[in-house]
Amino acid sequence: MQNIVKDFGHFRAVNDVTLKIASNEFFTLLGPSGCGKTTLLRMIAGFEMPTKGSILLDGAEIASLPPNQRPINTVFQNYALFPHMTVADNIGFGLKMLGRPKAEIEKTVADMIRLVRLDGREKNLVTQLSGGQQQRVALARALAPQPKVLLLDEPLSALDLKLRKSMQIELKRLQMETGITFVFVTHDQEEALTMSDRIAVMSDGQVRQIGSPWEIYDRPAERFVADFIGETNFLTAEVVSVSGDWARVRLASGAEIPASFPANTTPSGKVTVVVRPEHARAAPVSAASVLRGTIHDIVYLGTDTHLHVVLEDGTPFMVRQQNARSGPCGYEKGETLGIELSDDVAQILRD
Amino acid sequence: MAISPAEASEIVRKKDIRSRWLLSAPALILIAVAGVGPLLIVVVYSFLAPGNYGDVKWEFSTEAWFNVLLSRDIFDDTVTLADAHLSIFLRSIQLAIVTTVLCVVFGFPTAYFIATRPIHTRQIWLFLITIPFWTNMLIRAFAIQEVIRNEGIVNSLLMGLGLIAAPIPMMFSDFAILVGMTYVFLPLMVLPLYASIDKLDFRLIEAAYDLYASRFNVLMRVIVPLVKPGLIAGSILVFIPALSSYVIPRVLGGGKNLMIGNLIELQFGQGRNWPLGASLSVTLVIIVLFAMLYYVRNASRSGGTHG
Repeated sequence: MQNIVKDFGHFRAVNDVTLKIASNEFFTLLGPSGCGKTTLLRMIAGFEMPTKGSILLDGAEIASLPPNQRPINTVFQNYALFPHMTVADNIGFGLKMLGRPKAEIEKTVADMIRLVRLDGREKNLVTQLSGGQQQRVALARALAPQPKVLLLDEPLSALDLKLRKSMQIELKRLQMETGITFVFVTHDQEEALTMSDRIAVMSDGQVRQIGSPWEIYDRPAERFVADFIGETNFLTAEVVSVSGDWARVRLASGAEIPASFPANTTPSGKVTVVVRPEHARAAPVSAASVLRGTIHDIVYLGTDTHLHVVLEDGTPFMVRQQNARSGPCGYEKGETLGIELSDDVAQILRD
Repeated sequence: MAISPAEASEIVRKKDIRSRWLLSAPALILIAVAGVGPLLIVVVYSFLAPGNYGDVKWEFSTEAWFNVLLSRDIFDDTVTLADAHLSIFLRSIQLAIVTTVLCVVFGFPTAYFIATRPIHTRQIWLFLITIPFWTNMLIRAFAIQEVIRNEGIVNSLLMGLGLIAAPIPMMFSDFAILVGMTYVFLPLMVLPLYASIDKLDFRLIEAAYDLYASRFNVLMRVIVPLVKPGLIAGSILVFIPALSSYVIPRVLGGGKNLMIGNLIELQFGQGRNWPLGASLSVTLVIIVLFAMLYYVRNASRSGGTHG
């Protein structure tokens, strides 16, 4: 996809997006609602025409083709299953429309039903199925014609948490088994991190960062990305020196720590540094303390305890501690605390 | 006095039944007085003998029923099929079917158009569709006449443009009847179709396109099966009044293009044969009944196998 622009009236839904999605990749478009990710998906599917730019599939321009001429299928957000058809007829619909021989359709439908584990449900009307089963029919229906690209528009958002978790694993399995390129749209960062090979984080119609889940989480390039995905502490700092991939920054507390920075940038002057709460350690104030603050609040979450600290310069800072079975964390509100950081936990953001 | 639980529930049950009958009484009375009663009178009349100046003689006779399908030669008493009646029945059924088909052909795009407009403009369109209902059907029939008669709007326009030299005769023909009935009954098709299409999930259409369906296949395999209830309701609403249509064939069909309605009217008027009129009416009811049974059954069955 190159320089895609989509306007609805005066509203620019997608603004100059360029993406390259590799074949067999599980690619996720992640962003808050209204960021243009669904519009982007609909343009790949052919339901919307880009105002500007081109969409290439294996080197061929497809932006002007209608949806029924693109080897791309979609799993819709509300499944959009045909309510007047059985499970088998739903799954076989695409092949039937392609004019495939009956024997082939039957065989593929049977394969698909096995693949999505709906054996024995072939003759049911789709309206008789549960949400999770409908979801799997929608998947099978979109996979049956063996598209080059499968588009998934928040397909898990209507399912409850447990089902969603198992469908995440299922989706990943299907993608591995079929070898089809998946383009997945979601606003759920956890879903994106769990399944994707690569993620494009979007906001306001633009792609903010593209990278592996690890890169997106641990090496956020922008404030939006760092803020949208997971919980983050933002610290102001000053760059002292840069060597290779690492810079040394001086924090407000005066301590100097190493920090990584986004590729193609050279950090200098005042910068914002992010540290994930689980990468910081709380300890009594000592020479190893990089930051110091007082405990504002302690939140017990079962697996973790969150210590909300207010640093000396007033900046809020959160530390996440994994709980052991040794009882409460041992700190109390109002206590003064030191925060220790390992050498590789800080990331400088692009301005 | 103590009441056992069984007795108590019996009392409650009886009360329940009583209140249920009481609540449905208005509907039952209406059905009896306005529906079953008149129909019974018609059935009874069909088994009586005709009076000399209209009305009936109160003696049992099957002559009227005999005359529906057969006719007895007045000289030698040979019995032949009543060709005139049969052909009128057949013509009426044909015209009603064609009218229904025409209403689907014109009504479907209209309903689809309205259902896909923005919500606030839809009401205006629906309003426009229902406006003709406010006018008497006779007036509307004359309006159609004004459009298609030899000196009417269409012919004078075409002649004015020099496209034709002489007017195309359109009045007093089956064509005129079809134009009139399609025009008059179209709203009865559009409204139920609109209701069905309005409920249609347009994402299903996208899904079908996405799965390589052509425009034709999207229409036939997704849209039509899903709006079938509206299609059936509309067809019934058009077919029944079209079959028993009276005013339109009278005004636009002229004297020789009779439909069942005119034939029945004839028996009560000039024919002075009320029992025959009554038996023809009952026959019409039976035809409609069977047509509906056949149609609804067929429609629901094909829905099952298609899907």
